[in-house]
Amino acid sequence: MDDNTMNNPIKQQTMEIGEADILVGIPSYNNARTIGHVVKAVQAGLAKYFRDKKALLINSDGGSTDGTTEIVHKTTVDDLATIFVTQKTEPFFKIVTPYQGIPGKGSAFRAIFEIAATVKAKACAVVDSDLRSITPEWVELLIKPVLEGGFDYVAPLYQRHKYDGTITNSIIYPLTSALYGKRIRQPIGGDFGFSGRLAGFYLSKDVWETDVARYGIDIWMTTTAIANNFPVCQSYLGAKIHDAKDPGADLSAMLYQVVSAAFDLMETYSAAWQSVQSSEPVPTLGFQYDVGLEPISVNLERMIDRFSLGIKELGIFWKEFMPKELYGFFTKLTGSRKKTFRIPDEIWVETIYSFILAAHKRIMNREHLLKSLTPLYIGRTASFVMETWDSDSRSVEDKIENLRLMFEKKKDFLIKRWDE
Amino acid sequence: MNIFQRIIVEPFEKCYEKLLYFLPNFFTSILLLIAGVVLAVIIRAIFQKFFKTIKLDRFSERSGIVEALSKSGIKDPLSVLISKIIEWIIMLTFLVVAMQNLRIPTVEHLLDRFFLYVPNMFIAAFILIIGYLLSNFFRRAVLIASVNAGIKYSGLLSKFVKFTVFILSCTMALEQLGIGKDTVIIAFAITFGGVILALAIACGLGGKDIAREYLEKKMKEDNKEDGIGHL
Repeated sequence: MDDNTMNNPIKQQTMEIGEADILVGIPSYNNARTIGHVVKAVQAGLAKYFRDKKALLINSDGGSTDGTTEIVHKTTVDDLATIFVTQKTEPFFKIVTPYQGIPGKGSAFRAIFEIAATVKAKACAVVDSDLRSITPEWVELLIKPVLEGGFDYVAPLYQRHKYDGTITNSIIYPLTSALYGKRIRQPIGGDFGFSGRLAGFYLSKDVWETDVARYGIDIWMTTTAIANNFPVCQSYLGAKIHDAKDPGADLSAMLYQVVSAAFDLMETYSAAWQSVQSSEPVPTLGFQYDVGLEPISVNLERMIDRFSLGIKELGIFWKEFMPKELYGFFTKLTGSRKKTFRIPDEIWVETIYSFILAAHKRIMNREHLLKSLTPLYIGRTASFVMETWDSDSRSVEDKIENLRLMFEKKKDFLIKRWDE
Repeated sequence: MNIFQRIIVEPFEKCYEKLLYFLPNFFTSILLLIAGVVLAVIIRAIFQKFFKTIKLDRFSERSGIVEALSKSGIKDPLSVLISKIIEWIIMLTFLVVAMQNLRIPTVEHLLDRFFLYVPNMFIAAFILIIGYLLSNFFRRAVLIASVNAGIKYSGLLSKFVKFTVFILSCTMALEQLGIGKDTVIIAFAITFGGVILALAIACGLGGKDIAREYLEKKMKEDNKEDGIGHL
């Protein structure tokens, strides 16, 4: 059976290109405002750092209506001298293609993996199309560890605002580290480097009709690489500044897709994570420096209101699978005022583990279960914001590390109940 | 003598003949009934064991069926309940066969009509069960979605959805049973339309100020949207 989703013109184009050393993929959907800058940065990065490599840029688009694809076609670095390059010795190609399948980032990546396999790319990278802080160095930092360092997977490491990436900070990073034993700080960062070998491995998996096809792709790529023992590292890329992530996107849908993909992976790799005792840092490449970040506004009162509404209306479902003390803690917390509103690490870890076990044991409809986590996540985020209001980024990092340690400490709670 | 023969003896003889014809059927029917009861009890026990093996009660607890049953006054676990229903169906089948075996025309006619109606009863019961499960599912979906959207009256909204879906399934079930076919549909349409109209009037006239204030508040809230990047 031919599972390839490439259309004929693209097949023709890739055949004409033949083999390529490097492939950079940019998934997009209505990113006309930012994609021009991303394409320029990628092209400059390829010209500056990989002059003698045959490179291919793929824009995998989800049917943009704002002229995104036209911008990709037109954009080029006219004056290579500005980046201290006289000429590129190997050719540079650009393909713009609509992807097939479920609308989402994962389907866009699938199209990129397919082209990578067709052109037998040695090293690949994917970067988000909403980035405003991408520089040509990102291409080097994501590609070189694969080409020259022997790594199969390169995760990004950014400097982000302390309240940016809260799903990563409060769930995905500490959970992934505790489960699989590798401390990858941005497992769902969105910009990755990977080998052609790993792209082929991804492509061989039958996951393209699941949440992996949507927001779940990032955690799936990272976990698949770690759990299958591909050599992994992370590269420091500097600040991550991007356009607001799809303003119309519903938080609960986003949370559901990411968490659901993480929980699915726990089923797939249950033997792998149950044998891991503790976590270790992964090699970190790149020169680390501090950058100024844009301030973020937070409406704490509304967050606490959302949390309280959730406790009042959804508590009846949580009662079925949460330990009594945990449920009691949340119900008591609804009366708390802003100053005293706190969800400690231990409580949060037990909450996440309870949801994992409930999903594993199919206590209720999975989508309902995971979407009902949203008010608790909002509550935890509010608590985190209040606790770290006056903290600098280093203290916030320490706090996130403490949370990771708590996830590791309480892992037995999860393992003991997993097979009950 | 002739008259005595015709008025007294012949009817008695005929009656005796009929009794002779009827009695074997009667005893066969009783035997059938006893066999039916014994078989029903055995099959009930087998099914009860089978349901225990496949952990049906655990599933029913999780899916909310136990809660629904206890609300309607049924305390038996689902495995016992289904086993009992199977037992009764077997007994009823044997009862019907036994009665047909008696070969009484009136009974046969009534049984024919009953049998033609039975499928409707099963379909109606099926519609009701599915309707109940769907109403619970939609209630939960609406409740979670509205809580996540920050709607204050999420509970009320979800109950309204549950009620509407269940009433719709009741209407369909009654239609299947042929009870007041048109009346039920018209009553449902009037009730549902009435509720919507009442809500529209209440919002349009009585609550226009509240609606305006709410929308204004929402607009202001939207301006204060968080800048938190979740992913």
